[in-house]
Amino acid sequence: MMAPLAFAWRALVRQPARSALGVVGVASVGALLLDMLLLSEGLVLSMQQLLERMAFDVRVTAGDALPGTGADITDATTASTAIAALPEVREVTPIRSEEATMRHRDREVDASVIGVGGTTRIWTILRGRDPTGPRELVINQYATDTLGVEPGGTVMVSAYCADDDAPPPVPFRVAGVAELPFETPDAAAAATLLADLEEACGIRGAGIADFLAVTSTGNPSAAAAAIAAARPDLTAFTNEEVVGRVEQGAFTYFRQISTVLATITMAFALLLITVLLTVSVNQRLGEIAALRALGFSRRRVVLDVLCESALIVGTGGVLSVPVGLLLAVWLDAILKQMPGVPMQLHFFVFEPRTLAVHGMLLAATTVLAAAYPMRIVARLPIAATLRNEVIS
Amino acid sequence: MNRANGVVVAAERISRVFPMPAGPVVAVREVTLTVAPGEHIAIRGPSGCGKSTLLHMLGCVDAPSSGTLMFEGRDIAALGDGARSLLRLRHIGFVFQRFFLLPMLTAAENVELPQAEAGVPARERRRRSLELLEYVGLGARGEHRPSQLSGGEMQRVAIARALANRPRLLLADEPTGELDQATGEQVAALLDRVNADGTALVIVTHDPTLAGRARRVLTMRDGRIEAERQS
Repeated sequence: MMAPLAFAWRALVRQPARSALGVVGVASVGALLLDMLLLSEGLVLSMQQLLERMAFDVRVTAGDALPGTGADITDATTASTAIAALPEVREVTPIRSEEATMRHRDREVDASVIGVGGTTRIWTILRGRDPTGPRELVINQYATDTLGVEPGGTVMVSAYCADDDAPPPVPFRVAGVAELPFETPDAAAAATLLADLEEACGIRGAGIADFLAVTSTGNPSAAAAAIAAARPDLTAFTNEEVVGRVEQGAFTYFRQISTVLATITMAFALLLITVLLTVSVNQRLGEIAALRALGFSRRRVVLDVLCESALIVGTGGVLSVPVGLLLAVWLDAILKQMPGVPMQLHFFVFEPRTLAVHGMLLAATTVLAAAYPMRIVARLPIAATLRNEVIS
Repeated sequence: MNRANGVVVAAERISRVFPMPAGPVVAVREVTLTVAPGEHIAIRGPSGCGKSTLLHMLGCVDAPSSGTLMFEGRDIAALGDGARSLLRLRHIGFVFQRFFLLPMLTAAENVELPQAEAGVPARERRRRSLELLEYVGLGARGEHRPSQLSGGEMQRVAIARALANRPRLLLADEPTGELDQATGEQVAALLDRVNADGTALVIVTHDPTLAGRARRVLTMRDGRIEAERQS
């Protein structure tokens, strides 16, 4: 009953409206803080999870740029053969992506078409099956909805692989509906075998790829090093290196914004709790001085204030977690409505480490917010306070 | 030394000077005073004469600017804040004009408070609290909160709290100052009983009736003990 924490609890219950205000304030600020922490790492984590879900763990490009942003690999067949011979490599899949127009009956849609060599598949079948025979492809749900075609149907594909005029449309049978990597909810996408994409482009056997998707034998770093040694003209990226590159690029802005907003929310929490505790302590100076006169140690009365802070921040902090997670789901849905955001990418991603950081920041808030009122209590002149209480 | 001589507290030419912007204010001037076990002392005097300041120094919540203060043979000046807190907790009881009971605790819990701080086991302090509430005539009010008690009842709970750790010295600063005459009389009678049961009692009061119950009455003026009457 008389332990500092229980004592602090009684002090808070004594002023329920003020305590509730503090708890609600911390819950709100804590929820925002949690969201800022989730946002600061969310895209990076989401990108990492997306990359790790794929069937390969090393990407090989022609230059120093990430896949899809630099020059093509012009000897993809030769390079694939050389890399596949490395003991650190299990499989190599050349991947090429081109813009195309797909048509079904009187409906037409612009689409991004991926051509995949080898046996690695980078999509997830939702309905139907993988393309196995010649001139088969899988399309995403948006393409299905827009064209009104289902597995078994036929689409005419006009691919634009060069600056020249487009080759004549090539009929493709829809083998399945799939979720494609980095597809957006408002854009059509398709995937087929690399040879079939080249045929649609009218350049069969060109051996050009955007990048080579490499599956290592279990050690992607060793595979990347081996590839770099075998083909110094190419660059091999592990998933971690891709994430690192992305993290240093556009995602930095989210982290900076999150850091600024998290700092501001922390400052609000600090001010709120400091003001509440200071007002509370100032109203109880006589009682505190009396307790000191009765023999309560300075350490004990300071600990009581710290416990009050811990109870307010702790209760508010616990409440802030579900509130913050619900808010994150809502904000994520809003942000994902931005055009061009891949469906599998999330801005807010939960991971236990974020919760630990959230807890540590709130613990720091507990101590910092209590610092000033604790100082008041620690330096309270007992005799003068008792005298002033009588005079007032 | 003083313990051997049977002195609870001994003040030797103690003064208390408060530095103020307009110049230092001397609240207590070279007062020499001893309190023996079981003594009953009242300190009287006009407002601002230094009564409460002297009481605070005797109770080790304020330190003399000069002079020597010994509590049961220990020089208070040599004790740190923690040691002084412990001394107050175990050997000195305080009763305040405004009671200063904690409103969120029951009467019994208020009495338990100093015992808990002194590390008394829960069962023992519960028993002692009920015993003390019986002693002050509030055995049936243990579960009541201060807001449910009258002024006189609150002061009696405060006296029970002050006695919780069996102090050698009980200090009371205007203990009837907030009470009507009849209630003040009840509290005065209770303090007499506490003293009769062996606790040294020093009361600061404006009330001549309350002061008249003491065996030694000190009258202060301008920080000095102007007169002393023994009965």
